[in-house]
Amino acid sequence: MPTVHASSRTTTSAQARRRRGYATRTAADGSDTAIDITEYTPDRIRNFSIIAHIDHGKSTLADRLLETTGVITKSGKNKQVLDKLKVERERGITVKAQSVSMFWEHAGRKYLLNLIDTPGHVDFSYEVSRSLAACQGTILLVDAAQGIQAQTVANFFLAFGEGLEVIPMLNKIDLPTAEPDRAALQIESAFEIDATNIVHISAKTGLGIDKVLPSVIERIPRPVGSIDAPFKALLFDTWYDKYVGVVCLMAVKDGAVRRGDRIVSTHSGARYEVMEVGIMHPEQKPATQLQVGQVGYIVCNMKSVAEAHVGDTFHKDKFPVDPLPGFVPAKSMVFAGVFPLDAGEFDKLNESIQKLTLNDSSVGVHKETSAALGQGWRLGFLGTLHMDVFRQRLEEEYDANILVTAPTVPYRVQYTDGTIKYIQTPADFPTAVEIQEKVEAVMEPFVSATLIFPEQYLGAMLELCTMHRADIHTHTYLDELRVMLKCRLPTAEIVSDFYDRLKSKSQGFGSFDYEDDGYSESDLVKMEVLLNGEPVDALAAVMHRSSVVNVGRAIAKRLKDVIRRQLFDINIQTAANGKVVARETVKQLRKNVTAKCYGGDVSRKMKLLNKQKEGKKRMKKIGRVELPQEAFLSVMTSSQE
Amino acid sequence: ARVPSGGVDHAYITNALLAELKTSLTPHADKELRSIYFGGGTPSLAKPAHIARIIEHANRLVPLANDAEITLESNPTSAEVGKMAAFKAAGITRYSIGIQTLDDSVLQRMGRLHTGAEGLAAVDRAKALFSGRVSCDMMFGFEGQTLSGWRQDLETVLDHADSHLSLYQLTVEPGTPLFRDLNAQRVMLPEDDAQAQMYEAAVELCGARGFRHYEVSNYAKSPGAQSVHNMGYWQGRQWIGIGPSAHSRFTDPASGQRLRTVRIPDIRRWAQNCMERGHGTGKTEAIDGAEAKQEAVVFGLRMLDGLSNEQFMRGNNSSVASGREPLAEYLCMERVRQHVRDGYLRSTGDLDHLAPTERGLQVIDSILLDIIP
Repeated sequence: MPTVHASSRTTTSAQARRRRGYATRTAADGSDTAIDITEYTPDRIRNFSIIAHIDHGKSTLADRLLETTGVITKSGKNKQVLDKLKVERERGITVKAQSVSMFWEHAGRKYLLNLIDTPGHVDFSYEVSRSLAACQGTILLVDAAQGIQAQTVANFFLAFGEGLEVIPMLNKIDLPTAEPDRAALQIESAFEIDATNIVHISAKTGLGIDKVLPSVIERIPRPVGSIDAPFKALLFDTWYDKYVGVVCLMAVKDGAVRRGDRIVSTHSGARYEVMEVGIMHPEQKPATQLQVGQVGYIVCNMKSVAEAHVGDTFHKDKFPVDPLPGFVPAKSMVFAGVFPLDAGEFDKLNESIQKLTLNDSSVGVHKETSAALGQGWRLGFLGTLHMDVFRQRLEEEYDANILVTAPTVPYRVQYTDGTIKYIQTPADFPTAVEIQEKVEAVMEPFVSATLIFPEQYLGAMLELCTMHRADIHTHTYLDELRVMLKCRLPTAEIVSDFYDRLKSKSQGFGSFDYEDDGYSESDLVKMEVLLNGEPVDALAAVMHRSSVVNVGRAIAKRLKDVIRRQLFDINIQTAANGKVVARETVKQLRKNVTAKCYGGDVSRKMKLLNKQKEGKKRMKKIGRVELPQEAFLSVMTSSQE
Repeated sequence: ARVPSGGVDHAYITNALLAELKTSLTPHADKELRSIYFGGGTPSLAKPAHIARIIEHANRLVPLANDAEITLESNPTSAEVGKMAAFKAAGITRYSIGIQTLDDSVLQRMGRLHTGAEGLAAVDRAKALFSGRVSCDMMFGFEGQTLSGWRQDLETVLDHADSHLSLYQLTVEPGTPLFRDLNAQRVMLPEDDAQAQMYEAAVELCGARGFRHYEVSNYAKSPGAQSVHNMGYWQGRQWIGIGPSAHSRFTDPASGQRLRTVRIPDIRRWAQNCMERGHGTGKTEAIDGAEAKQEAVVFGLRMLDGLSNEQFMRGNNSSVASGREPLAEYLCMERVRQHVRDGYLRSTGDLDHLAPTERGLQVIDSILLDIIP
């Protein structure tokens, strides 16, 4: 994102900007520099967000509000401006939070409205809660046709937990399948909010949009805080800009900050000098200062986003303050091994991972060595989506040729001598013998989950949960059509295709949200894969005893399918606790030769050869056996059906 | 040379061929013409008189060697068989007959205009005219074919065969009706291992009758019966293709650079280019050192005689040292040694010579991928 420094503008556009509601400071030569928003005291500010389940229209509504306030113009290209990264656009979700400041006049007074965006996916609930902490109110957007979904519930409780004023609104009112009365009833019964005056809108058509901002201004309280108290701000998002370094998004709770100030992080104690402050409008626009109640960006000489911790409190040097509540360092839920396909590419991959994590400090990075795959990393992610997005970016933006091993969760092993180890790599998991002799308990992480689905899928959902070792707590009826099921299940069960299965078994209507719920003991077993008698550590997997036979067979079969025939027989065996569970053989290649090679065939043959050579480079050789990437990925996704 | 099939003005096409011949051969007047091969489409549909003109013209541009091999590809239809003598008179010295299979229903499905019996009859007739210089083409691995069916057909052909056989596993080319049928699963070809068995049967049966398996798909009763023209491809010699879509590889006398060219595929555009600028070359590319080395190994190892280090180092230009490193430095020797131990390759000295074994030839594509850097 390019930084906008002092910009030269003509007098006419300065007039236009004044009309839109903020003062500009004009330099002697007639050009404008930083904007002055000091006239916007807390009574003229509203900080709000929009929370919703996926595809309920949050981004479209945001776009509409930006158009209404003149921040963006009405043109097709602005579709979902707030979604920045390409990867997110492909998946139709927002990964990074953003915020935009808007100016609006209501009942004769000028207001500064800060729309603080929140990441929409289950994996990022901590980020969501910190973005909410920057607000005083939120629009709870519900699709009038679909009604309340799992993330509607989850997000509501997050907002409620932050003490925000919740304004429910029904979207997609234009759809023939919209049932506003029923949706309103759901909202009342699930959240105990009065839905009598609920706003009906269609973000797509623009219907009812004119009621949104007035609702925000009238119903959401002004930010609390004092201009005279020492500077105190909540950091709720960061990104890395290649020109200026780390850019921090902060909500100022007390006091003010301007260029030249020295600020300090409560969490790390590190001191920084403020280079620039401003608001997102929609891109960075420098301001003379940011003050109590306002939300904007701060550029200080922070080098890496690892230094910025979402939820941290900043204060002025020598003027410490009580830190804001709710700060928790990011915790990884899902781990995957990442290795360069070619050992020689390790350094390049190292650099790429450093660069990517520059912009994402929630990725845990630990170096790891595999006997089969050489040097690599075990990366920790907030969830499978987080992992997929990261992998895609590594491959596309950094042209990396990587091997990603199956996602795993950290297991906790308590030894008889009292030590506790967290095991992230299946190969390190203790063998049956070791468990018998030295281990007190083996535990795995659990989550507490909420599923919401139409009641006709109750049977299928119960079956899904049981199949994934869930302990079902309750199921209640949200309304006469919808069921909410709460259960506790191992995290390992949800890190691959649980969500996809849920969706397909409920024809897409089911939704799902989860939260970390500690560790419990479990009957876990290490499964090994042997190729021609040699165990391959990178293909090892840990699973519950009940899955051993099925998964062992599935893995062997899958490997037989993906491993191409070679010049010798390949015996595949899966074994657990020293016993072979399944065997498959990839028979020796008997014939592989091009029949004709004359004249024109010569060029074609050479082209094919070189293409095959490229393909070969992407294989990993373990002993004499050549394994394609799929072999490593397939190990855990071999299912438990 | 590639002579197009009927429907187009023979005379016009011949003139275009002659024009291209002149332009392409003139720079090589100092060399000797070792072979001419009339192939590509169905050259036997051409008029013998035109064939004669082409041979004569070529000889005038680059003198034919005394024992030059001039081959014509043909189908064993009655029409073409009738022209055999005329072709001999026109200068053809070697006759190749596309028998393909003796199964009439398969021939019909393939759109061929001859029967199995006609195929065998054509071989007999050709042997009378071109004694010792007749080659038969057969295919195996097509739909519905069994191993025993193949063995039987091959034995019958061997009863009639002369001195050379080309036996090809059916290859499915993209864009053909067979390819589409295969993709739509309207057709099922014999499994990989069944085809391997057919290949092995070919080697066995031909060997029993005294045919040496000298290249992947080619068998000859004596070294003299081997296809001189095709050996030119595999030994990296210089060859010029004339006619639409024809390929060439030669060293440009002016620059000393080895080049590859392809003629324009569309016959009308090709002919027009020949008449207007003297040739119908579409694409010209230089072959760099790395490619040339790769080719030397890939083609050298398709032949049972393999590749000598001396040949490899000499490169394509026999008069000047190419400055190449020895084979032992070029190839991944650790892999080569492993394959020698496993019985897929055989070598002499510290890689004076490298050749495939019969077993190795059968999986040579895998071996090549492994040993070429």
